[in-house]
Amino acid sequence: MKLRLAAPNALIDINGLTELSYIREEDGVIAIGALTRHDQLSRDRMIQQKIPMLAEAASLIADQQVRNRGTIGGSLAHADPTADLPTACMALNANIIIRNEHGSRSVASNDFFRDFFTTTLKQDEIIQEVRIPIPPPRSGGDYAKLAKGHGDFALVAVATQISLGSGDFCSAVSVVLGGVGSTPSHAAETEKLLMGNIIDDQLIREGSLMAAEGLSPNPDFRATSELKLKMVTKLTEKTLRTAVGRARGGI
Amino acid sequence: MLLVDFLRDKLGLTGTHIGCDTGHCGACTVMLNDVTVKSCLLLAAQANNSKILTIEGLSADGKLHPLQEEFLEHEGLQCGYCTPGMILSSLFLLKRNPAPSDDEIKKAIDGNLCRCTGYLGIVKAVKAAASRMNRESRLNSV
Repeated sequence: MKLRLAAPNALIDINGLTELSYIREEDGVIAIGALTRHDQLSRDRMIQQKIPMLAEAASLIADQQVRNRGTIGGSLAHADPTADLPTACMALNANIIIRNEHGSRSVASNDFFRDFFTTTLKQDEIIQEVRIPIPPPRSGGDYAKLAKGHGDFALVAVATQISLGSGDFCSAVSVVLGGVGSTPSHAAETEKLLMGNIIDDQLIREGSLMAAEGLSPNPDFRATSELKLKMVTKLTEKTLRTAVGRARGGI
Repeated sequence: MLLVDFLRDKLGLTGTHIGCDTGHCGACTVMLNDVTVKSCLLLAAQANNSKILTIEGLSADGKLHPLQEEFLEHEGLQCGYCTPGMILSSLFLLKRNPAPSDDEIKKAIDGNLCRCTGYLGIVKAVKAAASRMNRESRLNSV
């Protein structure tokens, strides 16, 4: 509305639905109500301890005033491809609980984002909750973004989440790229490369180069395609190192 | 009607400024129920039954607030256009973090753009206000 891209005749303000603002742990999952503000996400102890990558991503959104009002439901429903939470939620294997008058349904975040500003939400639906499985011990994540100014929308963002099994083999890995497509997307070849292997320097470097392959990010006045591709590699490398270090208990 | 227009045009509280048309500059920052918000990104109706603090509220007792005095003392303003919003954001920071570092101050005023000062005077002012407010235990009032 502010940018005059939408001019609805009538609005319903759902900010009064305070029952949709919560952060709870239940059945091995962190359940976050759709109206939970970004500021709350970034400061919540449980999120900082169990899924810290989400708190980091939330703390990098825009500025304090925006974080005081913006909500996780709003961010996911808006589906800006350069936003922070969609990318982070996909890397954390979030499920999105959608509510309509007949009841609710669950959609995996991997299936939720369809295109620029387009999700699987129907006209008469709202997001009710976001459910994130609590990663097992020996897990680590990291979120990094390149933006023009502090807190700006991402030119390139990478959200990485890794779990290590016995013998230090990688038992789960998600590397999600934001800002380089019409929706966030998994660096699938990178994930395949790392899965089941011991993640060393060599693999990190190979995986980071792979992440930039097959992408054609739109150039704009802020960054050329070439810069974006180079930064995909750089940020993938950075987040992989940090995530693995955290999973091993180092950082 | 936007909240900022309501404050300025209906209530005559013109201390809150409009510096852009897109919700970026932060000159319109006020506190709504004790958190900073950009009043140009809220409809007035959304503030129904809420508590609002504007820059005028910082000197409601007729004296300048320490933040206002330190902004003057340390050249935290030139044209003054960003200043009310800048001060509200600074106040929000100090209520959460009474002794912020320079980096924490800079991050806290991320949502407030200044075209005049280059921000150094602002950071100095907030630092000075923080120590003064700690000494004077002002952080529990306004």
